[in-house]
Amino acid sequence: MLWLCIRLPALERAALTRLAVWSQQWSSWVSLGACGNDDRSNEEQSANPEADCWLWLEIGASLKLFGGVSALRSNITCALEALGHEARTAIAPTPQAARLLTRTREPRCTSDAAALRARLSPLRLELLDLPAVALTALRSSGFRHIGQLLDLPSDSVAQRFGPEAALYLQRLCGEAIEPMPAVPFPRHYHARVEFGHEVLQATALLFPLQRLLWELQGWLRAADRALQHCTLVFEHHGRADTGLTLRCSLPSRDAAQWLALARERFHSFTLPAPVRALHLRADEFTAPAISQADFFAQEAQHSQLLHQVLDRLQARLGTHCMQRLHTTADYRPEHAWRSIATTDASPQSVTEASSNDATPRPCWLLREPRPLITAPRLIAGPERIESGWWDRGDVARDYYLAQGADGARQWVYQDLRNGIWYLHGLWA
Amino acid sequence: MSTAEILSVTDATGVVPLPRAQRSAVLTQLRQACLDGGLGDRSRPAELPSGHAALDAFLPGGGWPLGAVTELLGDTCGIGELSLLLPALVRLARSGRHVACIAPPHLPYAPALLQAGLPLERLLWIQPEGADAPRLALWAAEQLLRCPGVGATLLWPEQIDARQIRRLQLAAETGGGCALLYRPTQAAQHPSPAALRLQLHASPDGLRIEIKKARGRHVHAVVVHPAASA
Repeated sequence: MLWLCIRLPALERAALTRLAVWSQQWSSWVSLGACGNDDRSNEEQSANPEADCWLWLEIGASLKLFGGVSALRSNITCALEALGHEARTAIAPTPQAARLLTRTREPRCTSDAAALRARLSPLRLELLDLPAVALTALRSSGFRHIGQLLDLPSDSVAQRFGPEAALYLQRLCGEAIEPMPAVPFPRHYHARVEFGHEVLQATALLFPLQRLLWELQGWLRAADRALQHCTLVFEHHGRADTGLTLRCSLPSRDAAQWLALARERFHSFTLPAPVRALHLRADEFTAPAISQADFFAQEAQHSQLLHQVLDRLQARLGTHCMQRLHTTADYRPEHAWRSIATTDASPQSVTEASSNDATPRPCWLLREPRPLITAPRLIAGPERIESGWWDRGDVARDYYLAQGADGARQWVYQDLRNGIWYLHGLWA
Repeated sequence: MSTAEILSVTDATGVVPLPRAQRSAVLTQLRQACLDGGLGDRSRPAELPSGHAALDAFLPGGGWPLGAVTELLGDTCGIGELSLLLPALVRLARSGRHVACIAPPHLPYAPALLQAGLPLERLLWIQPEGADAPRLALWAAEQLLRCPGVGATLLWPEQIDARQIRRLQLAAETGGGCALLYRPTQAAQHPSPAALRLQLHASPDGLRIEIKKARGRHVHAVVVHPAASA
């Protein structure tokens, strides 16, 4: 086993847990250390260690996948930096040793259990995670380096400095196993960023949102899941929260894609009031749309690109402005078609068998039938349509093909109940 | 030998010199290609047959230009301006690519399109709303043209200038689809970067198509496309 310890400056418990889940993308075994249990002063580090937080990743099983210790480590450090965390990392065969090494000036990797003792021995005693009382007692007994303490027999340490100290030293050197509870993968993602000032412009929220999305992307990678929608909630001062939902037609875990969607939405969105804090919520994790490298890879890639474009259009234009058409089985021309939002459409055809397949129909239908002042010049017809008595949309019409004065071929009808002529379509 | 074939040879010469015997042959072909004006169409991958043999005969490359803008000029709706495109659109949609209709003047009537054989699940109807609608329509067209999954984008712009058409042209080159712009006849007075410009008129025999401009060719032809039986 090999443990990578991440030492972070003070973080809220919720944020630390989120980060623990996020780091599961590199290790299936992530454990977190409670904040503030480190009650010693340490002059070697400028940061206040009392408030430090710790994450442990078991990386022994991940080394091959991520290309070795140094590659994995720089990978994690870069990702942490992108999220805005200043972290120190150290690698050692035991969690306690890794944690201790994050406090040294040069947190070199020690992957060999045999070399661990040699690595720890010359280090100063103050680096140990022992209670201040024990450290004072050790110092007054003439101990200066960890090696001196490790050379003592374990029962002697227990006798002089308490059984906890003995157990700690055994765990440090790997002679005793330390239980490391793994952080479970939660069912929901919820993150909140509070701003120091009130944000007035929606676009100014993109930057903090980006970090949240990166974190969320790490979550989704860790669990091999994807998302189809997530919710942004804006906290205002003195009024109810508002929010909006981002939707993606294909399950996605790509932070850049979600950010692009948010950008489009923010384009046509004005904040109802200044924003104090931003929440990002995701509840339904689904299986990702896997793009496998196969013979039809290009087609799959095209369709993925198309979905991204459609999502972007939808975010900017609104759902009702982008539709797919399908036919319905109804004799009344205005009811023989429907439009549905592109997000609702299944990739398969949604077309019902039309009841009047045989008779030709014009390519354009007018949104509302337009009354004609003069009788049209009829060319062909009529086709009688009488239908709709069951839903109060009763019609009785004779449809004709007619020639307009401008040369257009029109689809006109005469309402049989009042004799008025209407233009209903155009043979485009 | 087509221009494309010649170019593939010249591209190869960048690393491997051609034998002397072949070199003169290639030069002759290149000269011929330059005379035909074919070299200008280098970026054009292929053409999309319009489905009307009489029209294809006059279109450079034998079809609607792919990865380029085509302008269809006309003032009247309902003269067969959409049926003209339908065979090509059906072919595109059946091959798995999408067709987008942006801001059409009337409702694209689903039963008619289905009768023409268009798989409706591949058709997108985009109708931007609000004061910003004309600008949004252009933006949507550009986005869709860039996407290789969209085979044809039909746009009825309220107002479009040469710069905007050039943007669409670039987007179409990226995505490789057809950009089809419906514009009023009056637009013919102004130059346009479109690869193909057709003037559509209603005539007693059907749709009269006048080729105003075709990139890479000097043609001035009038084709009459018989009206669809109704």
